[in-house]
Amino acid sequence: MTIEPITGRYVTVTVEDAPRRIYFEEAGRGRPVLCLHTAGADTRQWRHLMNDAAITADYRLIAFDMPWHGKSLPPEGFETQDYLLTTDAYIQTVLAVIDGLGLDRPILAGCSMGGRIALQLAALHPDLFSGFIAIEASDFQPAWYDIDWFHRPDGHGGEMGAALVSTNISPFAPEVERWNTLWMFMQSGPGVFRGDLSFYTQDDSLIGRLADIDTVKTPVHLIVGAYDLTCTPEDAKRTADAIAGATLAVMDKLGHFPMSEHPAGFRPYFVDALARMT
Amino acid sequence: MISQLHQMQDRLEAAPHLLRIGRLFSETVLLQVGADEYYLTFEKGHLVQIAPGPSKKTPYRFAFHTDADALSQFWGFRPAPGFHDIFGMVKIGRAKITGDILSLVKNLRFFKSFMALARAQEA
Repeated sequence: MTIEPITGRYVTVTVEDAPRRIYFEEAGRGRPVLCLHTAGADTRQWRHLMNDAAITADYRLIAFDMPWHGKSLPPEGFETQDYLLTTDAYIQTVLAVIDGLGLDRPILAGCSMGGRIALQLAALHPDLFSGFIAIEASDFQPAWYDIDWFHRPDGHGGEMGAALVSTNISPFAPEVERWNTLWMFMQSGPGVFRGDLSFYTQDDSLIGRLADIDTVKTPVHLIVGAYDLTCTPEDAKRTADAIAGATLAVMDKLGHFPMSEHPAGFRPYFVDALARMT
Repeated sequence: MISQLHQMQDRLEAAPHLLRIGRLFSETVLLQVGADEYYLTFEKGHLVQIAPGPSKKTPYRFAFHTDADALSQFWGFRPAPGFHDIFGMVKIGRAKITGDILSLVKNLRFFKSFMALARAQEA
């Protein structure tokens, strides 16, 4: 029998003038690292790193489910709303969680849309963080698919979404972790993946803000997988090149969900990233 | 190519989980490899006919167009980025999907899994 060191609790914060009951998990002690999941998924993407005793000996890893995701319920009245995530709402949520948990200048590590918002926060609220690890993150990605495919009454959005994102998983990923990663997308609530993609594929406001990022005050490190066809190494390089002082690592054998699809392959890149947050 | 398609047909019949996923898929798909056409007719997830073209009068729901080299790479063990997935091949410009793409998306796991049935399992 194994009981993992990860603990989960709830915190209620205010976002857009309404309460959000947020589920969060944490493990370890030391310098806080706030971890953001990708679109259409939840904190489980970070499970391997949170169970890594060598990392949690020095770092307190915290991950939370965005409202509508995982174990965080949607807000009251969701049944009459069209869920469409926005940059402002996402930023408010991250800042509310930091405040609610009393985190002192955490490192912010985000993947995909979480990486996008990490770079937004690097530009807009750098003083609240001590560093940024932007994984599979770029300035902007227009959709190469129709986001409305993933919320319709005559199809299962979760299964279709999982089949779509399987494009971005490396063939080097262990099969068990490939399918664990896809399962989260299969479980995603109706319209949630679409609503996340709306933010990710339509808001290009980061492009004009990249030059505002001061990596002397707060380091920025980007990590990208060669098998990521949504945020390609070329996309990440273009983004890193637009941020003076940002660094970039390309993972030859990984895809868009590295911490979840191939934890052993991702680990050295994450450890390296943490070491750069000084 | 025909031998590989028949191998895929056999492997599909030996994969009950794929037959279950494809149980609502009864369509004809055009697989175009270079100038060669293959009309694949599925019935409730079973591949019941492999008909070489060319044909201008065979209706199909959607088509996957690619070239022999790209398909060969796709079927290799641990393909290079882009060649590891049919949508990836589209993204890197080595394939094209035409026709009723929504029909494909609704059955995407089934069709992706079917197309990968000829993939080498080791180097």
